[in-house]
Amino acid sequence: MAARDGEGLRYAVFLAGCPMRCVYCHNPDTWDMANGIEYTPEELCNKIIRFKPYFKAGKGGVTFSGGEPLLQAEELLQLIELLQNHQIDCCIDTSGSVALSDTVKDVLLKSNSILLDLKFPTEESYQQYARGKLSSVIKTLEYLIANNKKVTIRTVIVPELNDNDASILEYAAILKPYKNKIHQWELLGFHTMGFMKYEALSLNNPLANKSSLPNSRLTELQRTANTVLHKL
Amino acid sequence: MRAWRNFKEGTWCESIAVADFIHLNYTPYEGGPEFLCPATQRTKDLFAVVQDLFRKEQENGGVLDIDTERVSSILTYAPGYIEKGKDIILGLQTEKPLVRAVNPFAGFRNAEQACAAYGYKISEKIREDFLYRTTHNTGVFRAYTKDMRKARHAGILTGLPDAYGRGRLIGDYRRLALYGMDFLIEQKLKDADDLGKRDMTEENIRLLEDIAKQLDFMQQLVKMADQYGCDIRRPAENAYEAVQWLYFAYLGGQKEQNGAANSIGRITTFLDIYMERDIAEDTLTESQAQELMDDLVIKLRLIRHLRTPEYNDLFAGDPVWVTCSEGGMGEDGRTMVTKNCYRMLHTLYNLGPSAEPNITILWSERLPEAFKKYCAKVSVDTDSIQYENDDRMRPEYGDDYAIACCVSAMKEGKQMQFFGARCNLPKVLLMALNGGKDEIHGTQIAPEGKVFSDGEVLNYDEVLETLKKYMAWMAKLYVNTMNIIHFMHDKYAYERLIMGFHDTIVERLMAFGVSGLSVLTDSLSAIKYAKVTPVHGENGLITDFITVGDFPKYGNDDDRVDEIAQWITEFFYSELCKTPTYRGAKHTLSVLTITSNVVYGKKTGTTPDGRKAGEPFAPGANPMHGRDKDGALASLNSVAKLDYDCCRDGISNTFSITPDALGNNEENRHTNLVSVLDGYFTQGAHHLNVNVLDREKLIAAMEDPNLYPNLTIRVSGYAVNFNKLTKDKQLEVIARTFHDKM
Repeated sequence: MAARDGEGLRYAVFLAGCPMRCVYCHNPDTWDMANGIEYTPEELCNKIIRFKPYFKAGKGGVTFSGGEPLLQAEELLQLIELLQNHQIDCCIDTSGSVALSDTVKDVLLKSNSILLDLKFPTEESYQQYARGKLSSVIKTLEYLIANNKKVTIRTVIVPELNDNDASILEYAAILKPYKNKIHQWELLGFHTMGFMKYEALSLNNPLANKSSLPNSRLTELQRTANTVLHKL
Repeated sequence: MRAWRNFKEGTWCESIAVADFIHLNYTPYEGGPEFLCPATQRTKDLFAVVQDLFRKEQENGGVLDIDTERVSSILTYAPGYIEKGKDIILGLQTEKPLVRAVNPFAGFRNAEQACAAYGYKISEKIREDFLYRTTHNTGVFRAYTKDMRKARHAGILTGLPDAYGRGRLIGDYRRLALYGMDFLIEQKLKDADDLGKRDMTEENIRLLEDIAKQLDFMQQLVKMADQYGCDIRRPAENAYEAVQWLYFAYLGGQKEQNGAANSIGRITTFLDIYMERDIAEDTLTESQAQELMDDLVIKLRLIRHLRTPEYNDLFAGDPVWVTCSEGGMGEDGRTMVTKNCYRMLHTLYNLGPSAEPNITILWSERLPEAFKKYCAKVSVDTDSIQYENDDRMRPEYGDDYAIACCVSAMKEGKQMQFFGARCNLPKVLLMALNGGKDEIHGTQIAPEGKVFSDGEVLNYDEVLETLKKYMAWMAKLYVNTMNIIHFMHDKYAYERLIMGFHDTIVERLMAFGVSGLSVLTDSLSAIKYAKVTPVHGENGLITDFITVGDFPKYGNDDDRVDEIAQWITEFFYSELCKTPTYRGAKHTLSVLTITSNVVYGKKTGTTPDGRKAGEPFAPGANPMHGRDKDGALASLNSVAKLDYDCCRDGISNTFSITPDALGNNEENRHTNLVSVLDGYFTQGAHHLNVNVLDREKLIAAMEDPNLYPNLTIRVSGYAVNFNKLTKDKQLEVIARTFHDKM
């Protein structure tokens, strides 16, 4: 369970497998689909129902994270349908890197809210730091907005990488056309809690020399972000 | 009558019926905390004096001073003040704040040892007086059987109230404010007349003598109040008097008795009625109402009893359990939350976090949202309060019950409890596997049986059958031991004043307890799902176990093992019920350890779950430290499965979560904690202690106590000032699970 990703108390399901390789990833153990435990949608639904007493109407529910949950759109769709029969709120935490197939679109339409990453402000930086595409994120965002979905944009702030006002301005410029349609733009501070996983998996940690972003800095940047987006 | 002006009349006017009075006259409050006022300068000045005394008490090794010349009773001491002229609510236990009284009625040796522990000696005069007196302790040991002594000595039954007051009573102290003592005495005399018409059975004669004892002390309380310039023969006429009268009634009980956990009850909504009336009459401002509560709470934080080091081992941190219950819903569907419930909580800001009074929120899903959120805020900010399930208790106790001690519910003034400590369950298992012998000393305690063989994998069914036999034996011995204790307590240390604030015909509960529930549960799970092989030591008894394979552990919402925990409580309770109790008390059971989980662990050998000899148990109904790996809510779900119907004396769960795991900002932490409480309690769970803090903070406080002098933490049905815990208890608290994920 998580009290941070999405509104209220959330049951977090980490779906294994991810097409991206973000330098700051804190769940490298979920990159490979083979690392996950297999559940049928029914099994997982039964597990989640046990936590229904903690979900409040409109607040609290399940957040599908990863990995990239949309890689398993087929099964995810079944699970969301099962959960919604029990009036459980479903939120998708996605990188926006998956092509919008019919099933993926269905998943996005059925979910109650979406957390969408805007990781980097240019195609070059997206490729360099995440092996992903900005255009794909924008496509996803446009689809969600066209369908009036509740979208929270999330951006991880890494010390000396994008923890400056100039970067914030770049992100804001991208979000400008959608600013009245998105629910929120939330900055997340980079933290070193995932470092142990890199060691355990003997993976190269590209940011091994970085330290966590101080909370005070994050608060400042969030304030800047809010002001900048509002004024644009 | 002037005292009752503007009160809505009802049956409460004719006979004692405080609940009826409350229902007809209280004003439910659904709003938020905006109306609250800060502490007045007077409160701050007075409390500064008290804080200075707290510091001196701590520097002095935990006890400021002891009055060794006199024996504590209602009229022993002249009036005492913190600072004469500055106190609003009057009355101290002795003549000076924090000076402890000597109370040897329940056990002389105990009082003597307590004095000696702090370098004091009881005066010769008291010693001589008690040479010719039978104390409760003497009485009990006259009747104890060999089996009882052995079980007590081995630590299978521990913490028995056989050397100090049994406590865990709640007098309905509100009666004094509402009716005045003259009326209460009149009612008792009427009761005596009624009893006089009955046949003189043993119980009837005893009741008549009880009333005579009560009347004696009720009259003494009138004299005590008179010394403070207050006439409590008449009812209270305004809010100030209502608080003062109620406090005198409680204080009298504390002077007479040194029982652990004689609690103050459900007082805030009752007092709110007087405050609302005064505010409407323009004779009281909000600031003055808060000042009354602040001053009352200062007095309650000064309550002290003199304890032996052995007692402190079981109940660490010098607690007195001035448990104050509030909130909940009325049976008519209105909330029982009033503005004064907020004022009580607000004392934790005006006077800072504190272990006492032990503020207990009676939680209902239907409580006003604003109140729920305020409680959550208080928990996050102070770690000082606890929660109990009103929706689960109201159907059993009505809407005028309160909590005594940690988790013991009773109807105010209508029920009392015979407190019975607890039985060490993991030790019963080890005894069963060792043919009735104590696994540490080898003494034959229970009937002789087969010692499970060295090197042979334990068979679950065989273990279970053996365990059942020994649990049955234990239950019978336990009830009979309690019967002796309470017979003697009634005879030699009867609570004359406190029982005066109860109905004459009172319903009695006999409260048994178990400790080490999670250790026994996981041990049985290991035997059932893994392969457990006993290893014999030199004395031919089992000293260790080899466990091969994994097994489900209690605290992860896994029915395979949680069902074992359910079975243990249900089976043990049904066994207890087979032996009749003294004075027809109803059997109840608690899963609560206070802090005795550390001492119990010390006295218990290695268990099949992997816990090594001497290591602490988890407190109360908590999963074992660090074994609830599936997150905070899965842990709560496991505990919520225990059935309150067989544990009517309470199921204690202490829950610690890091601020980060609870939410990423203050607002979210509050709403999420409300969701946690709602989710836990709608499943029928009984109790939750909530701590929102990082382990690192406790470690820092342990290394340098000056860093956080007021650091308060919920440990097990009560809160303590962390700095008052001994090192081993601090380490155990730090070793507990701090959920860093939901």
